[in-house]
Amino acid sequence: MPNFSKAITTDLVEVIKNTAAELAADAPRTYKLCRYADLRIEVTEEKHAGSENGMSKYAYEDSHIACGIRVLAGDRTIAPGYVGQVLGKADLSRLAQTLAGGLKHAYARAVINAREKARIRDKYKDLGEALSDTRLAPVEVQRDTVKADYAIDPRQVPLDDMVRYITEVSRAVQDVDEQLKYNAVSAVTLVTRELFTSSEGACIDQSFALTKGSVDVVAVSETGDQELSDTIGHQRGWEVVTEGIVEEHIRNLDLLTFSTILARDAVKLAHAPPLRSSDKEVAVVTDPHFNALLAHEIIGHPTELDRALKMETAYAGRSWLLRTLNDTMIGKIVASPLVTAYSDPSLPGFGHYKYDHEGTLGRKVVHIEKGIFKGFMNNRQTAAILNVPPNGSCTATGAHLVPLVRMSTTVFAGGARAPEDIIRETDKGYYVVGHRIPSIAESRENFRISAQKVYEVRNGQIGQLYRGGGIMADSKTFLMKVDAAGRDFRLFPIPNCGKGQPMQGRRLGNGGPTLRSRAHLTGPA
Amino acid sequence: MVSLATLKRTAEEGLRYLRRQKDIQESEVFVASNDGLTARVNYTSHIPCNGVEEPKSTSSYGLGVRAVFQDPKGPRIGLGSDAGDLSLDGVKEALEKARRSAVHDPDFTTLPRPSPDRRTLTKYHDPSAMNMKDADLVHAGWRVLTRALDEFAKAGSLQALAKTGPTLRELGVIVGGDVTVLLERMAIASTRLPKVQTDESTLIASFVTAMVEREGAKGTGYGCHTRLSAMRGDAGAEAARNALSAVGGVRIKDGEYAVILGPQPVTELMCNLILPSLTAASFYDCSSAFHGRLGRPVAHEDLTVYDHGALPGHMGSKGITCEGLPTGRTDLIKNGQLVGLLSSFYETERMLRDPAAKEKLGIPPEDCPGALVPRNGFRFAGGGRRFDMAPSVAPTNVFIEGREKKTREDLLRQVQNGVYIGRIWYTYPINGLRTGDFTATIVGDSYMIKDGKLSVPIKANVVRINDNIHQVMRNIVGTASKSRATIIWAADEVVYAPEIAVARLRLTEIAGFMDAH
Repeated sequence: MPNFSKAITTDLVEVIKNTAAELAADAPRTYKLCRYADLRIEVTEEKHAGSENGMSKYAYEDSHIACGIRVLAGDRTIAPGYVGQVLGKADLSRLAQTLAGGLKHAYARAVINAREKARIRDKYKDLGEALSDTRLAPVEVQRDTVKADYAIDPRQVPLDDMVRYITEVSRAVQDVDEQLKYNAVSAVTLVTRELFTSSEGACIDQSFALTKGSVDVVAVSETGDQELSDTIGHQRGWEVVTEGIVEEHIRNLDLLTFSTILARDAVKLAHAPPLRSSDKEVAVVTDPHFNALLAHEIIGHPTELDRALKMETAYAGRSWLLRTLNDTMIGKIVASPLVTAYSDPSLPGFGHYKYDHEGTLGRKVVHIEKGIFKGFMNNRQTAAILNVPPNGSCTATGAHLVPLVRMSTTVFAGGARAPEDIIRETDKGYYVVGHRIPSIAESRENFRISAQKVYEVRNGQIGQLYRGGGIMADSKTFLMKVDAAGRDFRLFPIPNCGKGQPMQGRRLGNGGPTLRSRAHLTGPA
Repeated sequence: MVSLATLKRTAEEGLRYLRRQKDIQESEVFVASNDGLTARVNYTSHIPCNGVEEPKSTSSYGLGVRAVFQDPKGPRIGLGSDAGDLSLDGVKEALEKARRSAVHDPDFTTLPRPSPDRRTLTKYHDPSAMNMKDADLVHAGWRVLTRALDEFAKAGSLQALAKTGPTLRELGVIVGGDVTVLLERMAIASTRLPKVQTDESTLIASFVTAMVEREGAKGTGYGCHTRLSAMRGDAGAEAARNALSAVGGVRIKDGEYAVILGPQPVTELMCNLILPSLTAASFYDCSSAFHGRLGRPVAHEDLTVYDHGALPGHMGSKGITCEGLPTGRTDLIKNGQLVGLLSSFYETERMLRDPAAKEKLGIPPEDCPGALVPRNGFRFAGGGRRFDMAPSVAPTNVFIEGREKKTREDLLRQVQNGVYIGRIWYTYPINGLRTGDFTATIVGDSYMIKDGKLSVPIKANVVRINDNIHQVMRNIVGTASKSRATIIWAADEVVYAPEIAVARLRLTEIAGFMDAH
């Protein structure tokens, strides 16, 4: 029986590791119809602080432990069953029993589910044929430990220091201009340690640090108003917020500088004229920050194989890249030859990991190579359906939630052009800077995304600034018309991507370079 | 789940302990136990599938302590929580976290004080749902699916299609969605409230989307219940019938159309644009689309909107808020005029003391005492009443009514020629809440209206709406008297939404390339 300390700390994972590994490994022997089981345990130590209009509003310091269990079981068919639980300090002394109880519970659900599946399959002759065994594509069984990377350990940051810093930033934002009517500044810094064990013998213990700073501002002038929100962040320590990060692909300003720049932009925009929507497509040069969200919405989401296989039809939608198993866009032209796009969990930032939450080694997945569609992110179940190797793209927001096919870091690859040259050679067009809010069609075939700033470009020069602007286009049309890609490849944090039922909001990464294509301009209605 | 008696005892004993602490001015213990059970359905006739994809559950219980600490520089307020421990040790742990995290918030006055209103809703939960077994959960998912498959299997139109071309399976029959049961128990004790209070609620919802994918036909079915016995899988059958009706869909051209918005689009607009703009918090932070317009017209005079959290038999009802105050009716828009806001105790107090309140609301707060009653302070963040967070403002049951008693047929006659929009998706305030601009795409359950009647279906995913909520609210020309309990993905509130006719809505044709694809 493991010995537990009194507090919930990431060290608990070390203590429970062997017990969890044994429980998972023994599951097929313990439960007659069990074909597969995995256990996930996650411990997070986190700190939060938030201020509004220069006044401290909240601070929060806590640690959490949660577990999730999946069992595949059955006789005439195989089906899944799941259990998830948020645990507390009082559970620690009986953690092994809690996990064993959860395993039993998930097994019971899987067995009932499998029996029902067999019965329904027999009942509906033709329509019943699609009801199949749950199968997982094989993966190399991993046993590994991955350490968190940080300069300032989030666990060692005094909460008072966080409160003081965040309040100072909020005050500085307030002092930018009296037309700023509201600001909210917040930060979180945390360390998470995840354990994955399976009946196949996997035992993966991986940790990461994460720090995020966010700012919201509202500016109101005599002629207009502007709300802006943005986020900085990285899988590093508290230094992300106080010092910023300069890496090859990440230029993360410190939160103070970042927030006051955003505040000045909001004031400028509140004075700027509204953008008029265009009846026709115009040339648009989109910057890396805007393209991070564009990559998220029109590359990342439609290349999640669970969506493509219709599993999200009722929620997050399907994908125009796969109609049926025999009618997909794989190998077909979906973009200009200048467009290459991929997902890569080895890239730094919010989307980074070594193993996904099924214990699969994360791999770079090329979605579009020089305009040709290549393939999807998957998990073991969807990979088995498509008969392709798993690529390690299955993650959950918390251990108590069921992992889904999710983006790691999905990007447009960098090109060869200097971004200033792309603008300079644009006679008539618009420079679309910074993403705001997206709305994407159900199968990701069309998008409208608003920008923080839109500038007119005339004879290669950046001119008038407009507020309330953005672009709208059919995804394939936009991708096909890309005629320039910059060498200024950058990565950005996406703080909240929703998927699943119940919805899981997950942090991940996106990025890209400056691109030029054609789209409709969208302005205030 | 943890019993209500245990939660109550924890709150009582916890408060007794907190009262004894010398540096605490006032304090509150909030104890909760939440279970979420979901049977997620995924059936695809043309792709191997599980049918019931995820029979699953998440559960949590614990306690939160809010305490106001004496400090020479002014009182400091802190929140701490402890999961999985309802003993006094848990209270002590949460208190220490609250002490470490306490901040001086100049907007904080006191913990919630008793309201003059009295609690009216008690013992309204379904005991059978509280005792739901694994088999019940799995069977609920399969029941929804088989009700849909029954409809598809017997559909003559599909059999006819299957005779002349692809097989029934190859038509791409999809049934996706879920049955979700949310079980919530809570207790609250506070130095500001006269006694410990408890609440217990059950919510049962089923949301299903069905498709005949090869035909681009999509239909929706849903049900919201407070009793497990009411969950008979009807949502599956409804979704399948609606998908079958949508076979043979057409495209429409860009333009302004007279429309009827069905209950789901009305709910999307309410949950993503209107309700977020009707909170005291959004007026405080200047993000509301109705900034400075309290007491003024914000919609056509036909429109009335109110929130009512204390109605028995309604899915969003609660006996008390997560601040321990009675729920009840809050009028928001009355005959087109903005008359009230959803609020929590904290938000009401800070608005009453905000020097800019008159500018933010449009009238001095003392002139509208009924507009800021704190009936909506909840600790929702998905998955029940959270013990680890402070209350914020959330709607409960939202009702939308018109002045005249109209039927769908009346609205169709009124519109004559236009579009019936039955389901929209990804409805966001594209330029921020304050501007009112929004966009969404039409994803199913929609039809052309011709000569006052529903005509041909509209193909899914070929139309984007680009408009502004102020224009929509001004251009309302009729509201049906019949409404339907509607819940959308990831929302906590239930909207009792009628069909609403709007004189003009800007629609844009999209995704033409898909026809050649």
